[in-house]
Amino acid sequence: MNLNLLAIAFHSVLGNVESSDISHSLELMGKGMLGIFIVMVLIYLVTVLLDKVTGKNK
Amino acid sequence: MSGFSFLVNGIQTMAANPKMLVMWVIGGLLIWLAIEKDFEPALLLPMGFGAILVNLPLPGVIGDQNTQGIVAWLFNVGIAASEAFPLLLFVGIGAMIDFGPLLSNPRMLLFGGAAQFGIFLTVVLAVLLGFPLKDAMSIGVIGAADGPTSILVSQQLNSAYMGAIAVAAYSYMALVPLIQPMAIRWVTTEKERKIRMPYNPKSVTKTTKILFPILVTLIAGLIAPDSVALVGFLMFGNLIRECGRLESLSQTAQGPLANLITIFLGVTIAFTMQADKFLTWGTLMVMALGLFAFVFDTIGGVVFAKIINLFLPKGRKINPMVGGAGISAFPMSARVIQKMALKEDNQNHILMHAVGANVAGQIGSVVAGGIILSLAKVFLV
Repeated sequence: MNLNLLAIAFHSVLGNVESSDISHSLELMGKGMLGIFIVMVLIYLVTVLLDKVTGKNK
Repeated sequence: MSGFSFLVNGIQTMAANPKMLVMWVIGGLLIWLAIEKDFEPALLLPMGFGAILVNLPLPGVIGDQNTQGIVAWLFNVGIAASEAFPLLLFVGIGAMIDFGPLLSNPRMLLFGGAAQFGIFLTVVLAVLLGFPLKDAMSIGVIGAADGPTSILVSQQLNSAYMGAIAVAAYSYMALVPLIQPMAIRWVTTEKERKIRMPYNPKSVTKTTKILFPILVTLIAGLIAPDSVALVGFLMFGNLIRECGRLESLSQTAQGPLANLITIFLGVTIAFTMQADKFLTWGTLMVMALGLFAFVFDTIGGVVFAKIINLFLPKGRKINPMVGGAGISAFPMSARVIQKMALKEDNQNHILMHAVGANVAGQIGSVVAGGIILSLAKVFLV
């Protein structure tokens, strides 16, 4: 995708749109969501493990 | 008469800057929303009063070149220098949360992740609308539905819109009962909203409840180090609650500590609501983007539940509305989901599932805030 065209199309009241910012924001979306899921899945696994370990003492 | 000119200095200054009058109206509107409409009154009332306070001519609460006013001092010490106010508030919030429903049904954790989607989509839209990346990142966090996280991230990224972001975060949190049903109806069918979910909770041991906050802090510290202040203080508060030995401290954290910080946080945030900084096109756009973030956070959670349902056998499917509860507005979001479920089917009780997703949203929102701060170090060099 040509981000320069996107930057021109979204010329805003706040000023010029930086095409580098667009690519960074898309990268941020990908890495951010991936990062959150990794952390949440790890917490999930730890919780399941914790339940298995401490559950024996019930 | 010239000897009495000091009595009209304020009026003259006011006449030279009529924007201050507009801020009085905005302050009055926030106070009205807090009192009349019961919109997050604990935060919006101090913010509204603070907005009037910092927009008085020659305000003693701001100070000048020689002296520092009280609101300026509170802002510099409590937010700019250390982010102490939002972090200390997290100790209180952590002490209020019972992670039991989540620990007995840990798959709900995934919804706490999925329902942060609106944050990142909003960052992209904000950039397309012309906001610099650091402001776009700060604006996106409004979608976390988590006031202290929004304030902390916008402060750390030195966003010019911190006041507007705080107002948006707290205003939309109060509007969850209006925003979420609308967003959920857009992306679900009546049949999906009627899906029943049996609740068979597993018992959770005290050891699990004690170890959970410690292990979550360790994971956050190792994987997303920038979230550790947020996650750590939240989990510290929760450990005080769950340890069973510090009932008095737990009550103090939930009550007096949280109340004291809340009183001053609102007035302190108003420091960023001085007319010249606040009355811009950007503020209006921040308010609109905040709404967008809330809507797409909800949609993110709901759509994720629908995707999971593709792989689940009949009878074990998840009511997609539960996914929408994966935001941080606790317990309001869970209540809204339950109310919607009962409206569709008066025997459909999904409250505890929604509560599980909702407390997962508390974790997800602070992790999202930390991850944005980590990525800011990469992209904002």
